Amino acid sequence: MQSWFLKSPAQRPLFAVLVSALFVLALCCLLSLLFGAGGLTPQASLQTLFGNGSPDDEFTVFHLRSTRTLIGLFVGLTLGIAGALMQAVARNPLAEPGLLGVSAGSSFAVAMALVMGASTATLTVGIAQLGALIGCICVLGAARMQGQHNDPIRLVLAGAALSSLLLAMTSLILLFDQRAADEIRFWVTGSVAGRDTHTLMSVLPSMLVAAACVLYTAKPLASLALGERVAIGLGHKPRRIRGIIIIAVALLVGGATAIAGPVAFIGLVVPFAARALVGPDIRRTLWLCLPLGPIIVISADIISRLVAQPTEMPLGVLTAIVGAPVLLLIVRSRRLPTL
Amino acid sequence: MINQSLSMPDTPTSNTSPNGYRLVSIGQHAQILIEKEAIVRNTWLLLVLFFASIITLGSGTMAISPKEVVDVLLGQGDTMNQFVVKDLRLPRLLAAIYTGAAFSLAGCLMQTMARNRLATPGIIGIDNAAMAFAVSSIVGMSVSLAPSFMALAGAATATALAFGLAGGSGTRGYRFIVAGIGIGAIAGAVTQLLLSQVSIDVANSAYPWTVGSLSARDPFMVNTLSIGIAICVIGCLLFSRQFALLPFSDQVITGLGANIKHIRILALILCITLTGLAVAVAGPVGLVALVGPEIARVLSRYRGIPLISSALTGALVMMLSDLFGRTVLSPIELPVGIVTAVIGGPYLIWILVRRSSRSSL
Repeated sequence: MQSWFLKSPAQRPLFAVLVSALFVLALCCLLSLLFGAGGLTPQASLQTLFGNGSPDDEFTVFHLRSTRTLIGLFVGLTLGIAGALMQAVARNPLAEPGLLGVSAGSSFAVAMALVMGASTATLTVGIAQLGALIGCICVLGAARMQGQHNDPIRLVLAGAALSSLLLAMTSLILLFDQRAADEIRFWVTGSVAGRDTHTLMSVLPSMLVAAACVLYTAKPLASLALGERVAIGLGHKPRRIRGIIIIAVALLVGGATAIAGPVAFIGLVVPFAARALVGPDIRRTLWLCLPLGPIIVISADIISRLVAQPTEMPLGVLTAIVGAPVLLLIVRSRRLPTL
Repeated sequence: MINQSLSMPDTPTSNTSPNGYRLVSIGQHAQILIEKEAIVRNTWLLLVLFFASIITLGSGTMAISPKEVVDVLLGQGDTMNQFVVKDLRLPRLLAAIYTGAAFSLAGCLMQTMARNRLATPGIIGIDNAAMAFAVSSIVGMSVSLAPSFMALAGAATATALAFGLAGGSGTRGYRFIVAGIGIGAIAGAVTQLLLSQVSIDVANSAYPWTVGSLSARDPFMVNTLSIGIAICVIGCLLFSRQFALLPFSDQVITGLGANIKHIRILALILCITLTGLAVAVAGPVGLVALVGPEIARVLSRYRGIPLISSALTGALVMMLSDLFGRTVLSPIELPVGIVTAVIGGPYLIWILVRRSSRSSL
């Protein structure tokens, strides 16, 4: 009965792995509701969940923490999927929206919007998504033009260069606007705290579009993993698939960035974990990324609440600290695998 | 050939120097192979640097003619000009020249080592770590001298960490680069965290460290940097033959009888010293490391590794960027890091989108 876990990753039944991942996710959500930086003890939160707590406690659990959990769920979902898609398109296990400058593109666009008079509270998601799209096209375009699919490091270097450029541009803009600088320094750390569900609703339509894109391209992507010629032979159009995926990634990353600020390394860790669990087939990993992303974001968020009590550590810092070692692990493990 | 051995009778090996090169012996064992063309090129660059310096010293809110600048430098001229040129502008000019040279030389070394134009210390996160340390000292202690030292410590820590995590330089130093990128990402996140936790005034005082600026730099660090650069330039000259092997593949280097690990570690140490000292003076102005070596490479027609020329072009770029930032929006002063970003940005984009895959160093 338990023997499925002993099989090689590619042979494990997807359904069993998925169900256990969903179970872990549910547990994470529950813990996220129970633990926090405030004075509310886990026991009291549990009581509140069952309906007998003071109005204050109810506000904390049902308003603050549940919103936060919901947003963590959303951010993990989008960034995990975006990471998996990006790695499939770039055929590179190191491709990650944060590392490749897609998030930096979003940040730049948001800074631009802030200077022009918007405010982080009323930020339009479209701007962040547009920035993400530009960043995405720049870096993947660069990698494609140089014909260097097979060299994972070059893509990462190009991404690092692009991010550093965009960050410099962002600070240039902020130099001229004190108010925007003051507002953005809270936003750029990346956090799921203190955001409201209103923004979540405004992102939802574009997420549906992205989901449609992903469903449409999952199969062609799997054939693309076998090589460009095989994909053409099977009747797919690689260029069009890539275009659609890039748009989907931009929508996903832009949406997540607009809500939570740039959160790095989720897109790297999630597909890595998913591949380790169910093997390299994109049709299987994508499914598993759905629960894994939120698991990682929510548990990171719980830790970020607990390590620095009474204050909190921003989520973006924590994911960077957790994610960088995974990056090293991937590079160190063996000869860099080319997807 | 005969002329050469006549001109250098005390060097028995001079007749083995390759065409277009001159072998200079120092003592019994140390020999430096100097490209004749490089001497001419670097002399020209020095001349350009000199004239540009005089113009830079003369321009600003109070314009001084080049002749008067020369007078002041020779110890004449009126007291007002003396004060402006010697006390206000000269330290800043020297800081620009030193940091530019250091960044650019370090960039050239690392690019050669990684065989990739994008692999400069700034991009692989050393600048970021130095910045995080400097910002933490401002946010935490607010001691005026501390940030420079913290920046130096940051650069050293980041490199040591990256090197340790990567388990040596690895093939082509690639692992080292990726480890550096990871550490840079963490350092960047920490910087943002620190800046978000303090009041806006403190965040503003840390701002020059996050973009890179040359105004009111610590004179002690500038002096230290000048000594460091002198040592590193001599190191580069002494080991130029070893560094010249770096563009080849690992097998070829080993086949030629050199110890590839030693060469890489040596190059890395030089890189880190230069970057750390330069960041300690000016903050992260990493894009100079991208542009300087490129200009030097074009000037040298892609022959060899133009280490010394890179230092000179880097100094030139830094100096002109600072002049630009100082004068173009006159009452407001643009930090030099932002000017270099605006200048280096288009070039960076060109590297990213250019078609050829062959000439990527």
